[in-house]
Amino acid sequence: MSGIGLCREFSDGLAALFDCRPHGDGEYQRIRTPYLYPDGDNIDVFCKAEGDLTLVTDLGETSRWLRMQTAALRRSPKQTALIQDACLTHGVEFYKGMLQARCRQGDNLAAVVCRVAQAALRVADLWFTFRTRSLESVADEVAEFLTERELSFVRGEKLAGRSGRVWTPDFHVRAKLRSSLVYVLSTGSRSAARSVVNHVHTAFFDLNYLVVGPEALRFISLFDDTVDVWSDEDYRLAEQLSTVARWSRPDEFADLLQAA
Amino acid sequence: MPLSNSELETILNDASKRIEGDLVWQEDEDHSPWVEFRADVRSEAGWPLLVRGSYYPYIPALSFVLILKTVGRVYGLDLGKDHHNPQCNQVGEKHKHQWTEHLRDKEAYVPHDITAPPTDPVAVWRQFCCEAKLTHEGALHAPPPARKELF
Repeated sequence: MSGIGLCREFSDGLAALFDCRPHGDGEYQRIRTPYLYPDGDNIDVFCKAEGDLTLVTDLGETSRWLRMQTAALRRSPKQTALIQDACLTHGVEFYKGMLQARCRQGDNLAAVVCRVAQAALRVADLWFTFRTRSLESVADEVAEFLTERELSFVRGEKLAGRSGRVWTPDFHVRAKLRSSLVYVLSTGSRSAARSVVNHVHTAFFDLNYLVVGPEALRFISLFDDTVDVWSDEDYRLAEQLSTVARWSRPDEFADLLQAA
Repeated sequence: MPLSNSELETILNDASKRIEGDLVWQEDEDHSPWVEFRADVRSEAGWPLLVRGSYYPYIPALSFVLILKTVGRVYGLDLGKDHHNPQCNQVGEKHKHQWTEHLRDKEAYVPHDITAPPTDPVAVWRQFCCEAKLTHEGALHAPPPARKELF
């Protein structure tokens, strides 16, 4: 096939990938695009004539799709900022959870539809920032948080206990008034939760020579309580040798690190 | 956190999964046209599960999903949206995603056990619960009327 033939075949085939038909009572036209959400669902865009304009919108499907993938109640500020960035790139407005653009007289409707669909694609890719979908652990999130709060830390420092066994707390955080050793307790399984607490309890017991003297360290057990696997007994056991903090309350964790 | 096929099967076959109380459709955080609900799922094994539902009568589109908090969505029913499988076949506007080790939740199939239309979310919810071995000790309220003026 000649070069011109390839181009013609491509042009002819492209339009067929977009299925446009009246929707509902005919107020909107639904355009089913060949673009896909990360789980393989097709991205649909809807068009509606409004006087001289044509409104092009996803009717909120993209932000809904994101919410349906996660246990989180709300988007994080970082995720909202990423949505705004994607909208800026494609010249799309994010209004009431809907991605939308106006096709004005003289504009190319196909181009506006592609802009909205492409914005939907990029916003849906926020899915990759969800902790459960990435390789990022809660400890990575804590590290990011400490950096944001300008709290200096060493990660994964190896410390010898009185028994001679070497322990690796997740963070050695240095604040102005006092330093802390932080273990992050995280598991997805209720049956594994107790053994995680036992491990940290033993570590703090073996390292307890570090909590005396003028430069005594504070021991902190930071529970990832965004997953409901911990019992009251787990918290009580951790409280015996350390101060308990909860990752669902990061500001309290930061206050604790900065306290004398 | 990786999830194996056998773990998922254990979760789905656990008939002690239950939701307590009535479920009410509410606005989402963006006040979009969609209405949603979410509820924790209790079980004897203590799986960290929750269920979410979303509905937009004007499309109409309806989804119910089971989320394992450590993994994300492991099981989900979509009505009113088409799906493209990794094998490049279109599944259609009634499809169900189920987690597999190989493809995670990217592969969907047509659930023949779901016969109610997307315009009847309460009936679809009953069928979804039955298929997912989920006992709802309460009622799912009917969704509020659709808002036609969106802007």
